[in-house]
Amino acid sequence: MRLRLYIAGNAPNSLHAIANLRAICETHFPASHELEIVDLLAHPQRGLVDGIIVTPTLLKVHPLPVQRMVGSLGDTKQVLLTLAGT
Amino acid sequence: MSHSSDRHTHDLERQLAEAKATIDALLSGEIDAVVDSESKTPVMLADAQHALRESEERYRRIVETADEGIAIVDAAGTVSFANRRLAELFGYRIAEIVGAPLLKFVPAGGEAIAARRLARSHEGISEEEEVVYRRRDGSELRTLLRTSPIRDADGQFVGTLGMLTDRTSYRVAEEALRKSEAQYRQIVEATSDGIVQLDDGHLVVFVNGRLAEMLGYDAGEMIGRDFLGFVSPAAQTTFMSALASRKRGGREPVETIYRHRDGTDVSVSVAGAAIFDGEGRFAGTLGLVRDVTERNKLQAQLMVSDRMASIGTLAAGVAHEINNPLAAVIANLDFIIESLSGIVHGTTASPAPARPASWLCGEIRGPIDDAREAARRMRFIVRDLKVFSHAPSDDVRAPVDVRALMDSSLRMAENEIRHRAHVVKQYGPVPPVDANEARIGQVFLNLLVNAAQALPAGHAERNRIIVRIRLAGDQVVIEVSDTGPGIPPEVVGRIFDAFFTTKPVGVGTGLGLAISHRIVTDMGGALTVESTVGKGTTFRVSLPVTPAAVVEAARPEEEATVEKVHGRILLVDDEPMLLRVLERVLALDHDVVSVGSASEAQSLLARGDTFDLILCDLMMPNMTGMELHAELSRTAPEQASRMIFLSGGAFTAAAQEFLADPSRERIEKPFDMLNLRATIQRHLQARA
Repeated sequence: MRLRLYIAGNAPNSLHAIANLRAICETHFPASHELEIVDLLAHPQRGLVDGIIVTPTLLKVHPLPVQRMVGSLGDTKQVLLTLAGT
Repeated sequence: MSHSSDRHTHDLERQLAEAKATIDALLSGEIDAVVDSESKTPVMLADAQHALRESEERYRRIVETADEGIAIVDAAGTVSFANRRLAELFGYRIAEIVGAPLLKFVPAGGEAIAARRLARSHEGISEEEEVVYRRRDGSELRTLLRTSPIRDADGQFVGTLGMLTDRTSYRVAEEALRKSEAQYRQIVEATSDGIVQLDDGHLVVFVNGRLAEMLGYDAGEMIGRDFLGFVSPAAQTTFMSALASRKRGGREPVETIYRHRDGTDVSVSVAGAAIFDGEGRFAGTLGLVRDVTERNKLQAQLMVSDRMASIGTLAAGVAHEINNPLAAVIANLDFIIESLSGIVHGTTASPAPARPASWLCGEIRGPIDDAREAARRMRFIVRDLKVFSHAPSDDVRAPVDVRALMDSSLRMAENEIRHRAHVVKQYGPVPPVDANEARIGQVFLNLLVNAAQALPAGHAERNRIIVRIRLAGDQVVIEVSDTGPGIPPEVVGRIFDAFFTTKPVGVGTGLGLAISHRIVTDMGGALTVESTVGKGTTFRVSLPVTPAAVVEAARPEEEATVEKVHGRILLVDDEPMLLRVLERVLALDHDVVSVGSASEAQSLLARGDTFDLILCDLMMPNMTGMELHAELSRTAPEQASRMIFLSGGAFTAAAQEFLADPSRERIEKPFDMLNLRATIQRHLQARA
């Protein structure tokens, strides 16, 4: 599973999202995930490809279909459901 | 197509769900940044919100903690915001104020004014004025109101900001301050003490009415003048040194002399302190001035009454002292009379008429000598008493032999001391001191009686009173020590205070030591005390030695008369007993005429009778010796110059003044015959 998280520098919700996501992956997919973190403040053009309009935004790039979720990812159950594609 | 249509629908649903989730996240504050649709760059959301929140928080804190009441009134005249302080001032809850028309808080009759003020704000006018509001309880709230118009981003008037400062409490504080100042002013003006404030250059900054009155000015006339102008020229050095001492922090009271407008002296005691400004720099002095003219007079009176009290205390002792020798005189004289009548009438068994002459010499000589010795003792006692009974105005200072004076005082206090202690005398050789004998005698007596009273009665063998006299530099030091219980340290400091006494009521006046202190200080000496509880107390008097030049050579008591000169002597005295004995004694060597009054003497002399010497009593009823002298000085000056005055004590001021003239010869009563004869011989020889 390949994940891409768009954030905005050290903003509080971005930091929360990183921490929450890492915890979920290590708990549920310890050996089968690949996480890319993209800082939109440093690379604004990267968001254009994925049509990002707010941060933080999480994208499940692979396996398809692409799923996306916004916010600080504090609700673990909702994050797992989104990643499962339902 | 249906497939593609389905997919399209599905896409739309998914996008809607994502948009909804994004809005939810935005609303719940989980979004950091939004990508701007035009610039395609992220805009930090949290920053703006956070800064806004902080800024709001800051203003809210200011508004809520402000000491002013703050309100916003909208364009319609409704209160749209009120802070906590405003609610407090108005006596309502915030919720009751917000939404209410402003007029609710304006007292009846003030509505039009309030409306005009809001209208001026609408026109863009900011202002500040005193405005009265009405509290919930109906009471007036006096405020200082500042208003300023509020406009929105487009410059439209949306309301008025008002800030209120409570003037009620301001006024109360102002009033309290004014009252307290008035109170101080009242105290300052009502006090019986003068109060003066001087600046650092001793110019008068303030005087109260009392001081102005003391010096004969209006307070206004004194302000701004150099205070030195109100100080007696004689005391200006003292004034300047006292001022210098104040500057160094000295606070001790100073006795000095001010100058009244009319040029007279005003004796004052000044307690003062330096004033320092906020930075601790010397800014002047404050003085509390007390007129001590009255106090000084009172003190002089107290001194007299203390002396009277001392004499009263000692009267019993003196009577006792005189009674013993007097009894001896009477008994011896009775014995002699009896014996003599036995010889004459032959009624006594023992003395045979055959041997009267030898018997007289052998048997009667003893009683006669005893009687004379007893009489001599009485003479000493009377002489001691005279030391203490000088007139109070007697301020004359003369060389005083403190050892002789102490012996006199010891004899006077004998009755107080005898039962309590034995006296140890340690006298060193000392020159005379420059003092007033009567007053120093009073001091000695006081110290001796105090020492005696410190000791319990009935153990004379155990207790001592030690009297030391010695020379220390140019001071004669007199110490009176007792072996009594001592004085506790807390009492020692007050011991010289007037009316301070540890003796039971009725035993002491509490004035003795205060007055003694004053007497000694007045004579340029010092009186100090040292005491150890359980060991005893020592009072120490130091008095300045008489400058050598003033010491008179002691006159020899007796002169060896080589050759007796015969003279014609007139005796004038109103006491027949004294007249008879003088006549009897002097008739052996001289021609003696005696008269019982000054007027008889005057008529005798007016008839042209002349004498080599006139022995005349000073104080006599009708015409005194002084008056006779005055009369003779006019009519027969040569005879006037031959007068010698017999004085039993110069108790009046006139008599003192009269005898102070060194050309006036005098013989003190009581006198012994040997001295009297010698003096007469000396005069007769001088005039021969």
